[in-house]
Amino acid sequence: MIASPLASVPENSTFAALKAELDARAGGRIIASVADALSSGLPELDQALGGGYAPGTLVSLEGAGCSGRTAVLAATLAGVTRTGLAAIVEAPFAGGDGGRFYPPDLARSGIVLERTLFAQANSAIEIARCADVLMRSKAFAAVAMPAASLRATVWSRLCGLAQKSGAVLFALGRDAGNELGYFASTRIRCGINHVVWHHNGVLGELCGYEIDARVLKHRRASPGAVAHLHAAAAEIQ
Amino acid sequence: MSAQLLCVHIPSFRLALARRDITGIAWGEPAVLADKADRGRVIEADVKARALGARIGHTVLQARAAAGGVHVLVHDAQRSSAVWSDMLDALDALSPLVDDAGEGTAYLDMRGIGGAPQEWGRHAHDALRDFELPVHCAVAENKFMALALTYAPDGNTGALPVEVLAVDTQTAERLHLLGVHTLGDLAALPHGPFVRRFGKAAAQWHDRARGIDPTPFRPRPHELHIDAAAYGEGSADQAEQVLFALRILAERVCSDLERAGRAAGMVHLTFECENGDVHELDAGFSEPAGEARIILDVVRVKLEGLQFNAPVSGLRMQVVRLEERGAPATLFAQNEPDPQAVAVALARLQAVTGTVPHRARTRRATCLEERFVYDPFVPRPGAAQRAPSPSGIAPQLRLLMVREIGVNVRGNMPVRVCLHDEQYYQRVVECAGPWRVDDGWFDTPIERDEYDVLLDDGMLCRIYRQGSHWYLRGAYD
Repeated sequence: MIASPLASVPENSTFAALKAELDARAGGRIIASVADALSSGLPELDQALGGGYAPGTLVSLEGAGCSGRTAVLAATLAGVTRTGLAAIVEAPFAGGDGGRFYPPDLARSGIVLERTLFAQANSAIEIARCADVLMRSKAFAAVAMPAASLRATVWSRLCGLAQKSGAVLFALGRDAGNELGYFASTRIRCGINHVVWHHNGVLGELCGYEIDARVLKHRRASPGAVAHLHAAAAEIQ
Repeated sequence: MSAQLLCVHIPSFRLALARRDITGIAWGEPAVLADKADRGRVIEADVKARALGARIGHTVLQARAAAGGVHVLVHDAQRSSAVWSDMLDALDALSPLVDDAGEGTAYLDMRGIGGAPQEWGRHAHDALRDFELPVHCAVAENKFMALALTYAPDGNTGALPVEVLAVDTQTAERLHLLGVHTLGDLAALPHGPFVRRFGKAAAQWHDRARGIDPTPFRPRPHELHIDAAAYGEGSADQAEQVLFALRILAERVCSDLERAGRAAGMVHLTFECENGDVHELDAGFSEPAGEARIILDVVRVKLEGLQFNAPVSGLRMQVVRLEERGAPATLFAQNEPDPQAVAVALARLQAVTGTVPHRARTRRATCLEERFVYDPFVPRPGAAQRAPSPSGIAPQLRLLMVREIGVNVRGNMPVRVCLHDEQYYQRVVECAGPWRVDDGWFDTPIERDEYDVLLDDGMLCRIYRQGSHWYLRGAYD
């Protein structure tokens, strides 16, 4: 548990009342609320993030190949595409961590495919350039890209563009490197802790899985909060 | 009301044109026009061919059998349309208002045009002389009378056959049986009983036979060409100079567009270099553009993939798709993104990746990979309002590059899977399947069994067996 920087502030009754209210809302964590936060589409995660993702920031969604990162991202994009445009930069060349999104599953989570742009990049630099173009257009409220290995100056530029455009840039990867870890305003590590099956064997079906999303870094809140999420297949194959 | 409509009519226009283009057939010889060379049907026949027995609708063989020695010509729709368009352009010299009534017939509104009606006809003949086609002209108060008078120069339209009314063959035969052969005969019939006997369309025939035709005059729209060029003003050997010239051209084009109340859907650029090379480039816009800044942005992005081997000495910017100006208004459009910004982003992405950015569309299919298709990305305003509300979090399959894997099977079910290292097999903790995919029998047959497997390291993936081989298709994330 990280000590709150406000612990040394002398208390008075007003401050105590305010702190008590904040504690009640955020489960004891100190959070600077974000007025126009982008909701993650998941109430548990929103609570862990103090309302949602801060607009104009870089968010790193981390986890192994099967960790539920894409499911968490899809829930956010579902909300984004109801009012604006979203973009996904795919990197089919990048084996385990890359691959293509599966549009029927995206649609199942509520994403409006008509308002989601897919761009396919063939190298790390192309990924960065695509994200650059998308952020510069200021037309997309959320942009998702693979967490490619890029230099600090590139991440710095992408962060600046995100801030100027007010969009949220999501980087999905196994681990955030030093550069991404430094520039990301929010880091969330995902992991599947339980897979739910409906029967087993010949009659079996994948029902869904439970994801633990742990906030590793948050510019406006103390890290460490964990959101327990349940991904359920609405329509079984 | 004074006569004001000039009808310019070329009887059997398509046949006359085909006859003109083929040398060796005298005007007096019978000819029919077929829709195609092989196994075609007659679509037009001249008077002599009809007199010999050829009819519209006959096969070429029937026409030849019915009218021995008849010439069979083949219709060229593209050429016919082009020639008629040229003729209409030529008629613009007589009146600014020209009604295109189909190939071979045009009406000109002559109100306010100087000269006598006879002179108008003469001017029309002069304007169309170069086309070498038999042109008939007449002036009347309404369209039908003007057309009828082209067949009756003496003004006696009552003597014209009822076929002038463009009635079908059966109706014409019924009228002939009743002793009605000419417009005069038809006009003499009482209106009510005739209409009751021949139906609603007969009211129009009867009116026309009496010289009444309320068909309105519809002038054809004039084609608008907007372009700007810079030639003979020196040469540009640096990108900045070319862009500067392009900006000037874009501003000229946009000024013309604004004056015409239109916007550009696509511009075509031609670059002429000093060494004689000519580079051409099309720049399309997802939304019609009317601002020089937008056009220039998209053009600049398109130019990123172009290289010139010599200084540019000539430039031309031409609007090839004129669109209506203005954005569609919707009640809920406040949050819609700027279409111009999207257009520029799309062009830039295409320049970066070399492929058109796309959006996905789902569809019903048996095979996993065929349950969606990609289309070019075009944001649709209002699509969000039709969207279902987000349904929370759902398992997401990520499609990986298909690769062969090693699998140990027990009782037809996978029990150990080797994804990476040939020596290291992981235990299957849970497994669901198989789902039989049997598709593509008409093209490339696909027969495979798919399984969802959870491995002991937490990997949850979709694998499939095709024949005796196993493959990794995707991973749930």
